[in-house]
Amino acid sequence: MKKYILQTCVVIASLLMTLPALAGIDIQTWQTSKGAKVLFVESKQLPMLDIEVTFDAGSARDGDIWGLASMTSLMLGMTTSKYSEDQINEAFDAVGANIGRSAGRDNASISLRTLTREKIMNKTLPLFAELISDTTFDKAVFEREMKRLKIGLKQRELSPRSIGSDQKWTNLYGDHPYAHNSSGTLETVEQIDLEKIKAFYQKYYVASNATIAMVGSIDQARAKKIAESLTQNLPVGTKPEPIAKPKLQQAREITVEFDSTQTQYSLSQLGIERGHPDYVALYVGNHLFGGSGFGSRLMEEVREKRGLVYSVYSYFAPMKQTGIFTIGLSTKNASALEADKVVKDTLSAFLKDFSQQDFEAIKQNLLGGWPMRIDSNSKIIGYLSMIGFYGMPLDYLEWFPEQVERTTKEDVLKAWQKHLDPEKMLRVMVGKPA
Amino acid sequence: MRSIGMLLLLSAFSTQLMAKVTEYTLDNQMKVVVKEDHRAPVVVHQVWYRVGSNHENNGETGISHMLEHMMFKGSKNLKPGEFSKIVSRLGGEDNAFTSSDYTAYYQVVGKQHLERVMDMEAERMRHIVLTDEEFYKERDVVTEERRQRTEDKPTGKLWEQFNATAFMNSPARHPVIGWMSDILNYKTEDAREWYDRWYAPNNATLIVVGDVNPDEVHELAKKYYGKYKPKKIEAPRPQIEVEQEGERRITLKDKTNNPIIMMGFHAPTLVTAEDEATVREVYALEVLSSVLDGDSSSRLTKNLVRKSQVLASVGAGYDGADRLKTLFYFSASPSKGFEPADAENAIWQEIDKLKNELVSKEELERVLAQSEAQYIYHQDSTQAQAIVLGRLISVGLSADTLENWVDEIRKVTPEEIQQVAKKYFRKDRMTVGTLLPNTETETKKGSSSTHSGGVK
Repeated sequence: MKKYILQTCVVIASLLMTLPALAGIDIQTWQTSKGAKVLFVESKQLPMLDIEVTFDAGSARDGDIWGLASMTSLMLGMTTSKYSEDQINEAFDAVGANIGRSAGRDNASISLRTLTREKIMNKTLPLFAELISDTTFDKAVFEREMKRLKIGLKQRELSPRSIGSDQKWTNLYGDHPYAHNSSGTLETVEQIDLEKIKAFYQKYYVASNATIAMVGSIDQARAKKIAESLTQNLPVGTKPEPIAKPKLQQAREITVEFDSTQTQYSLSQLGIERGHPDYVALYVGNHLFGGSGFGSRLMEEVREKRGLVYSVYSYFAPMKQTGIFTIGLSTKNASALEADKVVKDTLSAFLKDFSQQDFEAIKQNLLGGWPMRIDSNSKIIGYLSMIGFYGMPLDYLEWFPEQVERTTKEDVLKAWQKHLDPEKMLRVMVGKPA
Repeated sequence: MRSIGMLLLLSAFSTQLMAKVTEYTLDNQMKVVVKEDHRAPVVVHQVWYRVGSNHENNGETGISHMLEHMMFKGSKNLKPGEFSKIVSRLGGEDNAFTSSDYTAYYQVVGKQHLERVMDMEAERMRHIVLTDEEFYKERDVVTEERRQRTEDKPTGKLWEQFNATAFMNSPARHPVIGWMSDILNYKTEDAREWYDRWYAPNNATLIVVGDVNPDEVHELAKKYYGKYKPKKIEAPRPQIEVEQEGERRITLKDKTNNPIIMMGFHAPTLVTAEDEATVREVYALEVLSSVLDGDSSSRLTKNLVRKSQVLASVGAGYDGADRLKTLFYFSASPSKGFEPADAENAIWQEIDKLKNELVSKEELERVLAQSEAQYIYHQDSTQAQAIVLGRLISVGLSADTLENWVDEIRKVTPEEIQQVAKKYFRKDRMTVGTLLPNTETETKKGSSSTHSGGVK
């Protein structure tokens, strides 16, 4: 197998000229002999190590069995061929190590946080590798977790926020694999069984479908050994087919009656995929429109001027395929229609124009605040997983502020006008809006 | 953050890793605590006022939190909203939070901007401008905040009513955000009086964590906060909680599909402890809480969720650094086929085990190992470090509680844990809150789901 190492410090150094405040983050990358992509940052200050292994195994891979990817991720490494659930938990807990699992639409990941004392790593690292490559899916654990899942899904039906979110995704995506919630529904999870979980695991939890991100107090030689050991017992496998592109939906207005004091409101549309050339312009614009709390237009109009909400926000969520753009808020039922009007007016006005002064201020916030986005190991590993999984350039952490600096007001207006059509938005309200 | 204890427990294992903490007191009695963290060119600047819902009176609950909102609505030289706009232009982030014992304001900025934010924060320590126009608009915002956090959230309501049952006459019963009817009746004048009464340098602590030099921070603090004279702060009347002499129960019927129970027991804290014996009990209770619910191997989850499967989820909590008496509480949701009473019994079985058998050496070692690790992990976040320091000092504990804590906690014996279990977990001192489905939710069972049912 071909291995390669890409040092980025030279590139970083040249980009840093214009951004003196930035501490250079030296991302090292290579592939394991089994073909998994690795991204590593050495960080010596604290005697700890974070590892996250991400697979293209999110709920977009569920097929008809909604909830399958999520249940597989939940059960990954709960039992192995050598150890029981209690033995695994006790082994990590005895040395203060944490294991995390998560699954979304695009991917599923498992993570480890451990102290780097040799005696401790000698226990946690081999066991972590076993969770990934030697997992068994135990029947008793499966039955218990299914029961707990169903309690959660039933409770979801009484959460106005979850109802609103489900309506939003279903209506934006139609029959696309992003349409359903990752946990599935009470009906669809009935089809999940151990055989299907095992088949899902064997297909998607393979080395060529894995991204390993690591940040911590180890050197590169050690990092290479660790990455190698994490994938040595995984089959190479194949990368799954790309997900189809969703089609733009028509304007719709949906109201779900619910007995609550507030109406959960969202106004949304399909946005862009990760890596889209307009992303930075859309992102900078959104920071001004609704993405930066008290610095943003929505907060000014809906909360500061009129006192209609506690929180109001907007974001683009770029995904492997076209993600969403959404505006969200909750307000007392009697204010829902007023809030709707203010949101729409604010959006229309923003799409026409905004002041150069506000635009410069928001750029200053993004540029000045950049060092704070990468000031801890947990923040850095989040970026590493994102860069690795979505195939973003390795110099992303320097490239992004560079692009922000170059973005003009005209770039933002052009991108927003191109991607957002106020006539084709999906409005979802849950409550008793009046 | 689960509890201060978890974070503080184990610094002794890692003294070589302890970042330097430097303390000063200004002439006006304002405390200044600086912790160096040079990993990134960033600084966290926080001012903590010793005022929260525990200082409030009936009828004006939540006024500390309301005032927190108004602190962003203008001061002598800053227009409403301008404070946050300036911090935003500096690339920073700012916000505030209110609790039962304190109200804290913070900014996270590049270290070169420390002086600027300190200048602004100092201005609003003495010179906020309260207008009716801004006040009543912001009161609406706070009502929306309460609807979002509590009114439409059955678990939020349960906690509030459970807590107000466990505490009958002491202000520990107040919800931090305030009761809705109290919020709806605030007047601008209430916030002004509250501000005049509590906002003063001698009732505040400055916490700075980040890439700074402590002496330079001290000089800046003298310049900006040191210029104010101290004020006479009148402590609230004692309002000592009446002794609980029998079990208390409440039921809340709301929109839920599965029941949830909360069980609480009055317990002392480091602040309320009047003698050395009680202080030792607090440490024993902290360790006990970790034995029950510290990690995935701890007893409640292992025995009740994974093994007997009576519960779908369970948790326990205790905060030995609360200013007033606190609750050691349990929360649980029964599995399908089990009732709230089964959940309660299952938790009682675990409590009885603690009373009848000594905890094992392995369990104690695990608690220590977890705490050592947590202590190091929390240093990954400058904000977490600042919050730990701010909380300790705001409730009247010293910043070096850290070192003392470790020495004490390592002395906790299995016998002491058994002792506190026997002393504090008694049925006559228990408050139980149960959340049950309301009639409307029950009739919906079995019919079409809410999803398809109401779509227009």
